[in-house]
Amino acid sequence: MASCHEILEDAAIFEKENKILLMGNPNVGKSVFFSQLTGLQVVSSNYAGTTVTYTEGTMELGGKQYTLIDVPGTYSLEAVSEAEAVAVRFMESNPLAVLCVLDSTNLERNIKLGLELQRFNVPIVYALNLVDVAQRHGVQIDVAKLSRALGAPVVPTVAVKGEGFQNLLAELEKIPSEPGLRPKFPPVQGDLWTRAKEIASQVRVNVSGELSFLDRLGEAMLKPWPGIPIALLVILASLGAIVGGGKALRAVLLLPLVNNVLVPFFKALFASFIPEGIFLNVLVGEYGVFVIGFEWIIALILPYVFLFYVVFSFLEDSGFLPRLSVLFDGIMRKLGVQGGSMITIMMGYGCAVPAIIGSRTATTKKERLIISAAVCFGVPCISQTGALISLFANFSPLLLVLMLLLSLAVMATVALVLSRVIKGDVDPMVIEIPNLLMPNGKAYGKKLMLRMRGFLVDAEGPMLLSILIAAGLKETGLLDMVAVHLEPIVSGWLGLPKDAVIALILGIVRREMAVAPLLAIQGLTALQAFVGGTVALLYLPCLSVFGILAKEFNAKVAVAIGVSTAISALLVAGIINQVAQLFI
Amino acid sequence: MLARRKIINRKQSSNSKNCCLYYAKDGQQYIVTQAPQVGILKSLGIVENAVIQKQLTYRMGGPVLLRIDSCEIAIGKDFAEKIMVRG
Repeated sequence: MASCHEILEDAAIFEKENKILLMGNPNVGKSVFFSQLTGLQVVSSNYAGTTVTYTEGTMELGGKQYTLIDVPGTYSLEAVSEAEAVAVRFMESNPLAVLCVLDSTNLERNIKLGLELQRFNVPIVYALNLVDVAQRHGVQIDVAKLSRALGAPVVPTVAVKGEGFQNLLAELEKIPSEPGLRPKFPPVQGDLWTRAKEIASQVRVNVSGELSFLDRLGEAMLKPWPGIPIALLVILASLGAIVGGGKALRAVLLLPLVNNVLVPFFKALFASFIPEGIFLNVLVGEYGVFVIGFEWIIALILPYVFLFYVVFSFLEDSGFLPRLSVLFDGIMRKLGVQGGSMITIMMGYGCAVPAIIGSRTATTKKERLIISAAVCFGVPCISQTGALISLFANFSPLLLVLMLLLSLAVMATVALVLSRVIKGDVDPMVIEIPNLLMPNGKAYGKKLMLRMRGFLVDAEGPMLLSILIAAGLKETGLLDMVAVHLEPIVSGWLGLPKDAVIALILGIVRREMAVAPLLAIQGLTALQAFVGGTVALLYLPCLSVFGILAKEFNAKVAVAIGVSTAISALLVAGIINQVAQLFI
Repeated sequence: MLARRKIINRKQSSNSKNCCLYYAKDGQQYIVTQAPQVGILKSLGIVENAVIQKQLTYRMGGPVLLRIDSCEIAIGKDFAEKIMVRG
C-alpha cells in the first residue's frame, strides 16, 4: 500500500488563501479534529508523530469554503525538527486563523505552544481536548479563566466522541476574515515556560478522579514486571489471532468462495466465447489471471492482511506500542538504534512503504537508513507472511517459528552492521507515554477501512501485473528458456525445483509473489520450502518499496538495498541448503 | 536501628548534591540543574530548574522513566546520563 498519509510537498499550498491551520502538540488528536471537520479520513494513532507531513482538506463555515490544513504536531516552533520547520512555514504563510488543539492532561506543555503561536498575530481558537481523560486523572480545568489568560476563545472538546464541535465551529465563524482586523497578542513577559506553568496552575482545579482499570494497567505495563510478560503475551496473542484467525477465515470462507464459486464461474464464462489457446490460458489457465488472481489475492493474502490491520490498528490506538518501545529500548540500544524505532519496524510487518515514510520521525539520517534497511532485509510484509504461513502449513509450524527467528536475526545483524558502518550518531530515545485507551470504535473502524481500501487499491495493480507476467512467461515458453540459464543457481545452489525460477522473477514485483509460486509446486520438501521462504524473506523489496526508497532517500540507496538484499538472499538461503544437505 | 537511620540519612544527603539523572535514586523528586541543548528535551520541558519526578530506571542500558508536570516521559540512557539533577 502506498501511504497512510498524503505526501504532497507542494509549494502552492503556502500561497493558498482562506487557510485555517490545525496545530498542536503531537498526539493531542489533531487528526481526529481534521476528520471531524472535513469529513476526509486521516489515520490517527495513540502515539506521537503519526502525521509526519501535512494533509489538507476543505471545510465549510457559514456557507463559505475554507482550506483546513492538518499541520504536523510540534512541541515548539523553534524549527529544530523537520515537522517544526513545516509548522513555522505555515504560520508565516498568512493563514486566516489557527485552530490550536490543547491536551488537557498535559496543560503546561500545550499552553506553552499555545502562547508561542501568538507571536504570529493570527486569530486563534483553542480546543481543549481530552477533558474526559483529564477528569479521570483528577484534573478539571477552568475554561473561562484559561480563555482570559490566553486572550482567545477556548472550547472544551472530546474529539473522538465528537463533543464540543458545534461550539468550536461557532467560535471559528466569529473570526473576521479581513486581514486588517488581526489581533495583536501582548508579548509574553519573560520565559514562555514560566508563563505557561503559571497559567496551568491558575486554571487547574484538582477534583477527586478515580483512576480507571486502564489507567492502572497502563502504569503496570511500564514496569518490567509485569510489563514484559504482559507485552510478550500481547504479542503472542496478536500473532495467534493473525495466524489462527487468518487460517480459519481462509478455510471456512475464502477458499470455498474462490474454488467453488469464483474460479468455476470465470472458467465457464470465458470458455463460452473464447476459443482454446494462449489467450484463454492467460485468462483461466494454470497461471491464468482469473485463477491465480483470485487464489492468491483473495484466498492467500487478504485474510492475513485484514487480520493484521485489525490487530495492529488496535495496538496503535491503545497506546501499547510506546510502552513496548520503553521496555525494549535497552536491547534496541545495543543494536545501535533506539526503542522508539520499534514502532516503525513493527509497521513494516504490515507494509514496508508506510514504515519507510514513518521513519521520518527519526531524528538522524543514520537512524532512518538503519530502520529502512532493517525493514527491507528482515521484515516480511503481511502479504508475504500470509504466503509463508500457507507454504509452511503443509509441513510443521516449527518452520514458521524458525523463519521468525531468522527474520529477527537478520534485522539485528543489519542494524548492528549498519550502525557501525554508517557515520554519525543515533539519538537516544525520548518518548512520551500516552494514556492507555480503549480505541474509539468509530475512529478505529474508519482507520481499518482506510487501510484495507489502501491495500486493495495499491496492491491490486502490481499483483495483477505480476500474475500477468507469470501467465505470459508460462504460456509463451519463455519461462522454460530462462529456467535453463538460472538452473545452476536455483537447482544446484538452492536445491529448489526449476519451477521455482518464477518465484525469483515475480518476487521483484511483489514480495509475496516470491513465495506464492512455490505453493503450486507439487512434492516440495520441508527443506525446499524453508530455503524458498528464506530467499523470499531476504529477497528484493517490491517495486513500490524501490519507489519509496528512491523518493525518501535517493536512487543510490534504493539500488544499494536492492542489490545487497538480492545477494544476501541467495547467499543465506544457499548456505542453509548446503549445510542442511550435509546432514541429510 | 540507629545505624540504619544513619545510612538512610547519608543516602538522602548524597541525593541533594548534583548527580546525573541516570544514577539518581528512583521514586524521588529532583530539580534539573543541567540538560543537554536538544530540541526534543527542551520541548518536553526538560530544561534547567524544571521539577521532575524520577519513577524508575530500566536495567541493562534501558531508559529512565520520569514524570514532569502531568506527563510521563522515557529518556534513553545516553541522554539521562547527561542530565544533571539535584534532590
